[in-house]
Amino acid sequence: MKRDITLKVNGIKYNLNIETHRTLVEVLRETLGLTGTKKSCNEGECGTCTVLIDNKPAASCLVLAVEAQGREIITIEGLAEGTKLHPLQEAFVKHMAIQCGFCTPGMVMAAKAFLDENPSPTAAEIRKAISGNLCRCTGYQQIVDAVMAASAALRGEA
Amino acid sequence: MFIRRLPKFEYHTPSTVREAIAIAGKHNGDAKFIAGGTDLLLAMKKREIMPAHLVSLNGIGELRYLTVLANGKPSEEAGGLKIGALTTLAQLLASDAVKKDYAPLWDAVDVMASAQIRSLATIGGNLCSAVPSADTAPPLLAMDASIEIVNHSGKRTIPLNEFFNGPRQTTLGHKEILTHILIPKMDSSSGGCYLKLMRRNAMDLALVAVAVCLKLDETKKVCKEARIALGAVAPTPIRVPEAEAMLAGKKIDEMQITEAAKIAGMQCHPISDIRATLEYRCSMVEVLTKRAIERTLQRIQA
Amino acid sequence: MSMKKELKVVGKSVERTDARPKVTGKARYAADLVAPGMLYGKLLRSPFAHAKIVSIDTSKAKALPGVLGVITGRDFPGVPFGTRPDTRDTLPMPITKVHHFGEGVAAVAAVDEDTAEEALDLIKVEYEELPVVLTAEDALKPDAPLVNEFMKSNICYTSDFLFGDVEKGFKEADYVREETFSSQRVTVGFVEPHACLAEVDNSGRILLQGSKQSPYITWRHMCRALDIPLSDMRIVNPFVGGAFSGKHDPMDVDFAAVKLAQVTGRPVKIVLNYDEVLAAYRQRNAMNATIRLGLKKDGRISALYAENILEGGPISGIGPFNIYYFGAFLNIPYKIPAIEYHGKLVYGNRAPCGTVRGQEIVLAQFCLDSILHMAGEDLGIDPVDIRRINAVTDNWTCANGIKCDVSGLPECIDKMAAKIGWKESRVNKSVGRGIGFSCASHPSGPRLGGHFGSAVVIKLMEEGKVIVTHGGTEIGQGANTVFCQMAAEELGIPYEDVMQGASDSDTTIFDSGMFGDRCTYWDGNATIAAARDLKKQLAEIIAPELKAMPEEIEFADYRVFVRDNPERGMDFQRAVRRAYYEKGAPLYGRGYWAATDIDLVDWKTGKGNLAHGLDFIATGIELEVDRQTGKVSLLRCVHGDDAGQPINPAMLEGQVNGGSAHMTGHCLWEESLYDEKGRALNYTWRDYKQPTAVDVPEYFVEHVHTYDPYGPFGAKGAGEASSCSTLAAIANGIYDAVGVRIKDLPITPEKILATLNERKRDEQGGSTGFASGGADEAQ
Repeated sequence: MKRDITLKVNGIKYNLNIETHRTLVEVLRETLGLTGTKKSCNEGECGTCTVLIDNKPAASCLVLAVEAQGREIITIEGLAEGTKLHPLQEAFVKHMAIQCGFCTPGMVMAAKAFLDENPSPTAAEIRKAISGNLCRCTGYQQIVDAVMAASAALRGEA
Repeated sequence: MFIRRLPKFEYHTPSTVREAIAIAGKHNGDAKFIAGGTDLLLAMKKREIMPAHLVSLNGIGELRYLTVLANGKPSEEAGGLKIGALTTLAQLLASDAVKKDYAPLWDAVDVMASAQIRSLATIGGNLCSAVPSADTAPPLLAMDASIEIVNHSGKRTIPLNEFFNGPRQTTLGHKEILTHILIPKMDSSSGGCYLKLMRRNAMDLALVAVAVCLKLDETKKVCKEARIALGAVAPTPIRVPEAEAMLAGKKIDEMQITEAAKIAGMQCHPISDIRATLEYRCSMVEVLTKRAIERTLQRIQA
Repeated sequence: MSMKKELKVVGKSVERTDARPKVTGKARYAADLVAPGMLYGKLLRSPFAHAKIVSIDTSKAKALPGVLGVITGRDFPGVPFGTRPDTRDTLPMPITKVHHFGEGVAAVAAVDEDTAEEALDLIKVEYEELPVVLTAEDALKPDAPLVNEFMKSNICYTSDFLFGDVEKGFKEADYVREETFSSQRVTVGFVEPHACLAEVDNSGRILLQGSKQSPYITWRHMCRALDIPLSDMRIVNPFVGGAFSGKHDPMDVDFAAVKLAQVTGRPVKIVLNYDEVLAAYRQRNAMNATIRLGLKKDGRISALYAENILEGGPISGIGPFNIYYFGAFLNIPYKIPAIEYHGKLVYGNRAPCGTVRGQEIVLAQFCLDSILHMAGEDLGIDPVDIRRINAVTDNWTCANGIKCDVSGLPECIDKMAAKIGWKESRVNKSVGRGIGFSCASHPSGPRLGGHFGSAVVIKLMEEGKVIVTHGGTEIGQGANTVFCQMAAEELGIPYEDVMQGASDSDTTIFDSGMFGDRCTYWDGNATIAAARDLKKQLAEIIAPELKAMPEEIEFADYRVFVRDNPERGMDFQRAVRRAYYEKGAPLYGRGYWAATDIDLVDWKTGKGNLAHGLDFIATGIELEVDRQTGKVSLLRCVHGDDAGQPINPAMLEGQVNGGSAHMTGHCLWEESLYDEKGRALNYTWRDYKQPTAVDVPEYFVEHVHTYDPYGPFGAKGAGEASSCSTLAAIANGIYDAVGVRIKDLPITPEKILATLNERKRDEQGGSTGFASGGADEAQ
């Protein structure tokens, strides 16, 4: 069964006619070509498909695309302004918080949602905030360092 | 055997509870309500269930809120908290009222899933999924919560401990919707907490979970009422009245706490599975119950 | 060999070449690729661990609208492949029987994924169940069912060796201890599931773009099993989402995509879901080992005897190297004059194993550093001292012939112990807290025989920038960045002017792949050689204008000049333009490197210096054990790390920390579980738990700079040693905290608690069963 919906992704409205059983991650990746959002476990356990829905982090593999209608969706592609990276992205680059990069988009989006709510976090709070995002490469240390540095930058302290 | 893409279904978007019930009624058992979807969609991807119809509750704004009640019924004479079933775990976590006055629930939500799941998953959904390890159940049981259920002929309110029937089974009919959760207010001589043991420190199901609520007398030494609820150690979340009786009406000391914890460990009936053995779970119920009582006392006496 | 000189780019934590595409979501991984007319493939998987395939009926699936192709194992030539000529035991897809739960038995290609999934349900496979072999013990029973149809026994490979006078070593020992250890099946755990896109062009030539760790290995194996010449296939690597040795060889996914593309004439993409990876793809071998260690009173090791059986699933993969590695690396990082080793790799009906980060040194080191700790305690020697006493030093030749040129290990131990505060921790030691240590050494890429070289081409573009193309693989570890740094350093140009070429078998050259810490060292040396070749060509063109001999021309600071008269020179860019516009000469530097000056390992005796550039690590982990729940909290971890000259220190730290964090899960709770029929039990991430950010300790890396005489700019390979030193450090830390010694991994809370309770019962019963110096006694 198909439905007409309007999805607003990264500020752009898309009129789509999609099957109701499509998850948001499928529509982002397969219909809109926004492959920055990754997919791995398809059960909400890995965090690679994390996007923001109305500024909250969400596992887009567990959201029906039709249910995202009328809400503000931000993906990793919507974070930078042109070639100017978001301070979180800059911090990930600078602190070597990226290795294979497969967890990176989801990790950045989870961190973005977290810093929006908690601009002055402790390292322990950062660890907790990204505990829904699996990374096998880094051991998380440099990711935590990057988020910490980004929080300072976003507060205008660095 | 393996996770797949979602099976096809017809999707309905009612805007009221009444409308939702009518749609479900029409499809007589072949429809499922979807709230946060974090459990339901996964079960469908695993082909554990394949409903022909999904009735979305997400257009029903009236169920996505929490209100501190001044008065009302049934438990509201003394005030309390009324939570719409579609309230997300993230909303609960962000609520100062929940953190301050309904701490066991806040404790539970704080250690549940991940941020990206908490923003989707609802408290109603967590209860209706009725897995033995459902994190919101023990604190709500310990806080003596009741739930409001609506069907085509009206609504009824039942204590939460009459809701769970077995693993993934509740007393809810397929044409009924759990609409609200009501938690009585705790006074200043009452308090509680929720403790959860996991293999990992995050994103894990409880191996064992314990919620405790105590009401002390004015001296804050004698226990007037005690409620202890356990998760993941029986086919449903359970209360342990025998352990509660060790505390109620007594001056609480080390011996009483130890004894109550021991009884809790004996009264649970867990299984051995890939995550832990029966024996370990029983002994952890004892350890966590003791710690939960102690932490509760600290909180009240603080 | 390079001379030590002031470095401009190497040794600096410059930005990764791939950081920006990855952090913006622009990096394309295999699952992100699309091609015109592309179909979607899916695999039907066996519900049995061991069963005869009686028949497969694909007719209904083929008839489903939208399905363009269905294949099974019979569509392949039936030619097995394998790492060694004597271990060719693997088919693209099974023909006569399935060997493990979840093995792909058929594959479909359809217009969309929904249709492909629907088609799987229409394939009818008739199986006849066979008895299963789950453990090494099962495999070695005289009447055990045969697991692999190409082999005559369940023993896949053996490795036995004797170096030095072991008998004398034990006779002269003042102390001898023997212990058994075991380790469970764990998954590899990269986050990107296997994925690939296969196409066939008009001439029938195959193009495979997949998530591969060592495309060269995949390419060779695939061409053998498809029975085609290498020239009939091209393999291109997109971005790879982690591999850790789990993506070396071709998988059924790769073969199925290729075959379906051939059958349908359309591009076919297959992307796995992670539960398929957990159920049916590479894991670490299960281990059962016995170690006997002899020591002198002063703590010096006099002899070691080891037996080890690895169970590695139904195919050999790189298993033969694993079983050798376990024994070979018991020879190092400690000075052991005499070693006897008997290793067996056996087949079984659980998921296939390759290896995982740190290879089987991870398991060997768990045994060695655990038993060393026990011995040290009995001899009354401090755990830091016992490692210091035995640590390998410069110019040490191991009993088996491995030669260590430069060892920073003693300094690694000292720096690590100081940073973690070992001495201070002994004063007022708090209840349930402990610190554990382990050391490890890892080679910078082994010379294993067969194809083992590395090659690099540097193309000089007319505006003066260069493109570095190498055969090593960027799988997240930072290889591309490292080679760009080296090329910039050697050419004297800015790092920003060096670009990374694509990994493509048509242009990228011969390279045995990315494993065993080899890329930095091997491809790094090849990069330097290519840069020098390029400089030589450019110097020959420019020298006459500078009135000098080509040998006198230097490259530095973006200039080309005469060595003894730096004023006489020109901008690098101008020199390049001279070559292009006045000589019409596009320049390509070509370089290769292989450790041809060291011995090939003699597989019969185990003797040989298989690698240069042994890197070293000393790890200390501070942890806390909840004595009522048995739960372990990892607090702080310090690594003293000798990677020679670090090429990119911050990137190196990420490697070191990551390897260590990886093994925390292996040590404490990760385990791939099976029922009695060999069916996987916990193959989703809801049930199989990898460490999250709140499970790992805070990490600190203390760099110990050494200079390796053969390494590029003095560098050694790096990154994998921390995987090898983590298991024992945690096990020893738990012992230090609560006096509980667990030798069978994973060290679960239940195991710790059972031992604590047993001890409590003994104490209550008046027994003095527990005598050694655990935390309780050290209060």
